[in-house]
Amino acid sequence: MAKYILKRIGFLLLTLFLVATITFFLMKLLPGTPFNNPKIPADQLAILKKQYGLDKPVWMQYLTYMAGITHGDFGMSYQYPGQTVSGLIVSRMGPSLQIGAQAMVVGTLAGIVLGAIAAIRKNTWVDATATIFAILGRSIPNFVFAALLQLFAYKTGAFPVALWGGFTYSILPTIALAIAPLAQTARFMRTEMVDVLSSDYIELARSKGESRWQVVAKHALRNSMIPIVTIIGPMAVDLMVGSLVVENIFAIPGIGEQFVKSITTNDYPVIMALAILYSAMLTVIILIVDILYGFIDPRIRLSGEAN
Amino acid sequence: MKFRKTMVAGTTIALAGVLAACGSNSASSNGSSITRMESDVISTMDPSTNTDAISGQALIDTMDGLYRYSGKDLKPAIAKSQPTVSKDGKTYTFKLRNAKWSNGDPVTAQDFVFGWRRTVTPKTKSEYAYLFSGVKNADDITAGKKAASTLGVTAVNKTTLKVTLDHAIPYFKTMLVNPAFFPQNEKFVNKAGKKYGTTSKYILSNGPYVLKDWNGTGNTWKETKNKTYWNAKNVHIDTLNGQVVKDPQTALNLYQSKKLDIAQLSGEQAAKAKTMSDYKGLNQSAIFYLELNEKKVPIFKNTKIRQAVSAAINRTEYIKKVLNDSSIAANNVTPEGLFTKGGQDFSKTASKTDASATKYDPAKAKKLWTEGLKETGQSAPTLELLSDDTTQGKRSAEYLQSTLQQNLPGLKVTIASVPFKTRLSRAQNGQFDMVYSGWSADFPDAISFLDLFTSDNSYNDGKWSNAEYDALIKQSKTTDANNPTARWNTLLKAQEILTKEQGVVPLYQRVQATLQRKTITGLKYNPTSSYDFVNAKVK
Repeated sequence: MAKYILKRIGFLLLTLFLVATITFFLMKLLPGTPFNNPKIPADQLAILKKQYGLDKPVWMQYLTYMAGITHGDFGMSYQYPGQTVSGLIVSRMGPSLQIGAQAMVVGTLAGIVLGAIAAIRKNTWVDATATIFAILGRSIPNFVFAALLQLFAYKTGAFPVALWGGFTYSILPTIALAIAPLAQTARFMRTEMVDVLSSDYIELARSKGESRWQVVAKHALRNSMIPIVTIIGPMAVDLMVGSLVVENIFAIPGIGEQFVKSITTNDYPVIMALAILYSAMLTVIILIVDILYGFIDPRIRLSGEAN
Repeated sequence: MKFRKTMVAGTTIALAGVLAACGSNSASSNGSSITRMESDVISTMDPSTNTDAISGQALIDTMDGLYRYSGKDLKPAIAKSQPTVSKDGKTYTFKLRNAKWSNGDPVTAQDFVFGWRRTVTPKTKSEYAYLFSGVKNADDITAGKKAASTLGVTAVNKTTLKVTLDHAIPYFKTMLVNPAFFPQNEKFVNKAGKKYGTTSKYILSNGPYVLKDWNGTGNTWKETKNKTYWNAKNVHIDTLNGQVVKDPQTALNLYQSKKLDIAQLSGEQAAKAKTMSDYKGLNQSAIFYLELNEKKVPIFKNTKIRQAVSAAINRTEYIKKVLNDSSIAANNVTPEGLFTKGGQDFSKTASKTDASATKYDPAKAKKLWTEGLKETGQSAPTLELLSDDTTQGKRSAEYLQSTLQQNLPGLKVTIASVPFKTRLSRAQNGQFDMVYSGWSADFPDAISFLDLFTSDNSYNDGKWSNAEYDALIKQSKTTDANNPTARWNTLLKAQEILTKEQGVVPLYQRVQATLQRKTITGLKYNPTSSYDFVNAKVK
């Protein structure tokens, strides 16, 4: 197992190196400069570029950058003069992580319950309702939910309309973000559960006299988890990195917008740091998920160790 | 089993985060306060490296330069009175008033010398260093050819500042309200080092307010009254809260739930706000126009063709249908409210004589177009209209496409919507037939717009060229530089030529739709598109 994990970490580092390299050279193809005032005279622009080392050949900038990140120096932001990129990310990551984690927990748990109920009550109105809900949740973009939730808050005064200042402020954005993972989890859960419920070992358990709910809780639920665990990884990263639209609608000081903004303003160090961070989160979570499989399904663990 | 443990652990961590967040409720403040919406964060409080309007507003709230705008009035601030100006207009001597920094240090002439030198030093990486062009040796210093100490600014003594220019700059005083020209406390700046202006801890103020609770990247901050401000007796609002809101519907909802006292709106929400009694339209110093590439499309050299394009556009309808806010149909390229003299507005005065050139007149457009084509011996062309790929950019291009095709017989217009930076570079390299562009003023003087369309200006993308126009602009900078009345008349004449010839086709002046509580009084909006909170009150 340890050998397997070490090998996977090696691949993980290689992946990050490739992501960083490809992003760096692609990013340098963006038109324009980080100096966004179109009125800067050409000779002044040349001086600014020289000050930032942007006059050097791209491969040399690449080497300087890579040398920097090996000792944790991600550079300074252009959009925020004087701010380090790591400081910028850390200061805006908190709210995104919080809402993302909450949405993740609420979404998957509710999704698992909804999917399981739909599977147990297959082909009844409960199942139909759950399916319709799942389809709506998947097909309606989260900003529509966000806007509707805000309207609800505005009309009733039950929740803050927007802004950030404590748990109550995070409830509506969490719900808006949780709808999509909820719907997705519910759909996968239902399909898998229907399969599991018709398998032989479930029949056996039932014939031994266990009640339907006991069977579901003891045997079916865990075995229906596999596809959920697969989708949880990318879903978690998707939620944690922040949503541009939901954060904007609820005026949350998160990281969601930074990626887009750094690209449109050619803020090279921020583009790089976020690309590396997101890839790192994704690869680490995929690794964790792969290890988790083994705990949920011993068959996978055995084959993993055999390799 | 282990899986269940992981789930439990995960849930616990998430709950812990939830509970930790509960503790951080914002405290309410004592005294009078208002909450102002900003469309983006403050990116820096270093006057030398600031470039954006939001940081600019926070700098104006917390600092005073030699001058300060109070609405349209340019008033001496740290300067005690109007400066003594030499006859050739090249030397300015300012007497400074007795003012203090928020740490108690006096604001001295040396603070200006230090701040200005710091801005032009290449090492500071200021994007606004070019504004100093015209101050003696500034160009050589920014180019790294001379030491910053050679800049034409000296502290004669603690309260006397002498500025030497390369040539007379008639609008020099208006430039002094730009934060790049603010004083900086050498001791404090050096002590803060790289962190200067990055959080509220590393800021020293000499203005009406001091910035608090700003972590450098956050969406909220607070400006509290600065008791050491020389004019503190006229600062009546104790606290100005800043809140970043990006979504216009959220802004409207927050305003209506009384979480915001001043909010800017756009799009649909701006149209909705227009009907509300708290509505205010704030004229921006920004003009949008159509540039016609005379180098690439020879028929645009023909004046009648350019006039036809202008007469074919119904600006009022365009604003109503596409922008749907209270933007002003532009008769010329100088914004209204930007440049005034003795109560007279430059743009409005110019409009009196040249409004017909931008009047929607399909019959006239058709006639001029046909005549123009005959004169040039060309048939009606297919032209590409270059615009931004934003929603507004695209919709504007579509409107112009349909109206031009409808009113100019035989013309085919195709649209190329590209990202902002691509549009800029294509426009500057002449890779377009027609381009939808805009310009906003660095300083409130007609010259910041009229300068763009001289033959050798690098922003004259259409390459319109008129010898008489060039001569008038030059005259305003030389012969008339020290004679405001003559200069005003010369610039008016130049504006008339530009409009009559339609060297550029003006479209509209941007007006910011704003909601502002009626309880706020005395709040003034400056020609530099920022607020002055001195003298403002809240009931």
